[in-house]
Amino acid sequence: MASRRRMLLKVIILGDSGVGKTSLMNQYVNRKFSNQYKATIGADFLTKEVQFDDRLFTLQIWDTAGQERFQSLGVAFYRGADCCVLVYDVNVMKSFDSLNNWREEFLIQASPPDPENFPFVVLGNKIDVDGGNSRVVSEKKAKTWCASKGNIPYFETSAKDGFNVEAAFECIAKNALKNEPEEDPYLPETIDMTGGQQQRSSGCEC
Amino acid sequence: MIADGVEDEEKWLSAGIAGLQQNAFYMNRAMDSNNLRDALKFSAQMLSELRTSKLSPQKYYALYMRAFDELKRLELFFKEEAQRGCSFIDLYELVQHAGNILPRLYLLCTVGSVYIESKEAPAKDVLKDLVEMCRGIQHPLRGLFLRSYLSQVSKDKLPDIGSNYEGSYTDCESFILLADPELRLAIGLSGLQGPAREKEKREKERNALRDLVGKNLHALSQIEGVDLDMYKETVLPRVLEQVVNCKDDLAQFYLMDCIIQVFPDEYHLQTLEVLLSACPQLQPSVDIKTVLSRLMERLSNYAASSTEVLPEFLQVEAFAKLNNAIGKVIEAQVDMPIFGAVTLYSSLLTFTLHVHPDRLDYADQVLGACVKKLSTIGKLDDNRATKQIVALLSAPLEKYNDIVTALKLSNYPRVMEYLDNETNKVMASIIIQSVMKNNTRISTADNVEALFELMKGLIKDLDETYEEVDEDDFKEEQNSVARLIQMLYNEDPDEMFKIITVVKTHVMTGGPKRLPFTVPPLVFSTLKLVKRLQGQEENPFANETSTTPKKIFQLLNQIIEALSSVPAPETALRLYLQCAEAANDCDLEPVAYEFFTQAYILYEEEISDSRAQVTAIHLIIGTLQRMHVFGVENRDTLTHKATGYSAKLLKKPDQCRAVYGCAHLFWNDDQDNMKDGERVLLCLKRALRIANAAQQMSSAARGSTGSVTLFVEILNKYLYFFEKGNPQITVAAIQSLIELITTEMQSDSSTPDPAADAFFASTVRYIQFQKQKGGSIGERYESIKA
Repeated sequence: MASRRRMLLKVIILGDSGVGKTSLMNQYVNRKFSNQYKATIGADFLTKEVQFDDRLFTLQIWDTAGQERFQSLGVAFYRGADCCVLVYDVNVMKSFDSLNNWREEFLIQASPPDPENFPFVVLGNKIDVDGGNSRVVSEKKAKTWCASKGNIPYFETSAKDGFNVEAAFECIAKNALKNEPEEDPYLPETIDMTGGQQQRSSGCEC
Repeated sequence: MIADGVEDEEKWLSAGIAGLQQNAFYMNRAMDSNNLRDALKFSAQMLSELRTSKLSPQKYYALYMRAFDELKRLELFFKEEAQRGCSFIDLYELVQHAGNILPRLYLLCTVGSVYIESKEAPAKDVLKDLVEMCRGIQHPLRGLFLRSYLSQVSKDKLPDIGSNYEGSYTDCESFILLADPELRLAIGLSGLQGPAREKEKREKERNALRDLVGKNLHALSQIEGVDLDMYKETVLPRVLEQVVNCKDDLAQFYLMDCIIQVFPDEYHLQTLEVLLSACPQLQPSVDIKTVLSRLMERLSNYAASSTEVLPEFLQVEAFAKLNNAIGKVIEAQVDMPIFGAVTLYSSLLTFTLHVHPDRLDYADQVLGACVKKLSTIGKLDDNRATKQIVALLSAPLEKYNDIVTALKLSNYPRVMEYLDNETNKVMASIIIQSVMKNNTRISTADNVEALFELMKGLIKDLDETYEEVDEDDFKEEQNSVARLIQMLYNEDPDEMFKIITVVKTHVMTGGPKRLPFTVPPLVFSTLKLVKRLQGQEENPFANETSTTPKKIFQLLNQIIEALSSVPAPETALRLYLQCAEAANDCDLEPVAYEFFTQAYILYEEEISDSRAQVTAIHLIIGTLQRMHVFGVENRDTLTHKATGYSAKLLKKPDQCRAVYGCAHLFWNDDQDNMKDGERVLLCLKRALRIANAAQQMSSAARGSTGSVTLFVEILNKYLYFFEKGNPQITVAAIQSLIELITTEMQSDSSTPDPAADAFFASTVRYIQFQKQKGGSIGERYESIKA
């Protein structure tokens, strides 16, 4: 059977406070949207089953607190991520400017073995607001940035009306799947005699 | 010591991870061979690593996350087992064989979540069971993480509207709330443990742990069943009750912050009274100002997000409630630093500006309350507090982009009173910048009065003590005042005159350092008013109070006179001459004469530097030349004086140039009665004599004659007046001058001067050119040989 490790794909969503990380996740997993702003505390995930090539995977989507003061335990949950989603609000310049920090912070903290090729996906959210009239970050600008960081896939989304959310997450899942397991499989250094004894006593044949 | 602690911790963490990985390896192997018993055994051993008490919360979290990832695989394995026919009840029983309580409970929670998912048992029963059992862990750190695990694995399995699991809101509410109270107690108590010297470390640990507590509130806010009514009637009162009862300042602060952040704005608006009423009940050491500021910040942003939501604010009288609550908090917390109080007022002001932009009285009310508080402590010397005041006072400017609106706030200047001199200036500069940026027209004397009252930090020295100021900063700030003076304008001359009078009163107090910056713009602004009146007919109905140029000139005289205290004679002289010219345009001979007299007095008594004298003389000549208002007598006096000054300059070349400049005083093209060819010639001859003398002096001193430049300049003057038809300027005179120059240039003793040569050459070319022109000019030039 396939390794259980590879059946679980871990995705981390990062971005400034209020850009719509929770809303994007809720829209994708539950197809629900609420206009109300509720801050996220700590890190939490939702799961969704996805199917590729007749194989079923569990997507574990980690939503994070954009406000630093609600991330008091640190970011140990970055470990083992298969894909990192960077979200900004196309109507707020600062949230776009922060993407670089979020990306770098992630690479430092998660320290994937091959940071150059670690899969990111960038989402420009809230394109529905004010019919696009209050937009301050152009698609071109965002794409230029993505290109400069090793051709990060870019999606313009609206968590509110669900625009492009499915497509974005499909891309996220595919990229997560392509990501090689970050660590070599753990092997005990020596044959553990005590462990062996325990195994014998429990009647195992190995 | 501390370093050791950190190193030790790293070691413990590595050991924990190693143990965890090893057991996880065997657990995975067991799962791959579908060996349930071994999988359970190794998972329990793996989870035993979480029993450590040696790690700080962050490190423990790192270990917990690894265990968590492994448990996710175990969860999948349990599902497979169930498909193979193992019943959940059996699984539920089986995991209870784990020897230690902590691993047992983690496994129970894992199975429990799968159990609920299978719907073989009612979610609420399983959850209740799990919650009860998790209470068994009394150690705060381990307990909090375990409960966090339970809350995480069961989160998507809560009975909720539209969820797959049956039950009502009350079930999940009880789940979340049940899990909570003793946690808060735990977080509170853990702060009290340990020796006092470790207090700081404890505080840090507790701070790190708070998210685990806050997550429960977050989970609650995500439940759709918690609608406004439910929130209002049950959730909020019960949560607040627990917050108040936990009696721990750190926990209270954090939980209040969480409540504000995780629940939506609409809920807060509809429950403001309840939320706010909890504030006075919190421990006195709780940082309530930050809590309330964040609440107001949130609501301000909500108000700014759409005008559609504003009626909600009005309906619940949000301002009154917040205002009331803040008043109470400030009153109750006598020890609150002034910084805190100002921060609160600042947030409230921002709130009311967003929500009630039309209610200036509200804004003024907030400022008034702030004044009242400030009056109890006097002038501020707290850096953070003054910064907040600047933010407070900047808020109305940013909102309205119009200082005139802010001037309507009667308490605005009263708040400024409490700023130290330095900050007062900063604020004044911000105000000026606002006027500049928005091009605000300040058009009534009353507003100008109020504005200058606000800016008095820039207008005059606020106290006697000498302050060390940076020269450049000072210049910059005074230049900004100067720009502001130019911005004041009213169509109506009477009101404009009032404005000028007000500005004058303020500017006059500025002292010798500021006057040179402020007087000139005021004079020019006033002269603009004169210009506006000048074209108008004398108003037959004018009464004593109406503005006349005469009245304005009197004022101008006073304004410029102020510069004598500096002293700044050169600036004053220029301004007097400007005024004289304006008086000339208004046909006010005596006034113009008076201004000239003032300029002359300055020249004679105050301007002693020879270069300054040269500049001044040329200004005088230039202005006087343009004057047409003077009668013969006055004019004679003034021109006579001017020529006298010219001839008395220190250096011969300067004398020469000033004197030939005076020639223009006797020749005005536009007026036939001002064409005195004889005196023009006298001036030029005199200039020629001086040039000769200069030449001789130079030859005596250096053994070589100086350049011929002066002669060429005089030649040009001759040509000018010749062309203008002055009968006194003859061809012969010009001819001899040309010869003189040619001889001088060829003389051995002369110093070569290419510039002078070129100048002469082009003068000669000009003569040739005029000759070729033909007509009357050509005829005139015909007889000159060059």
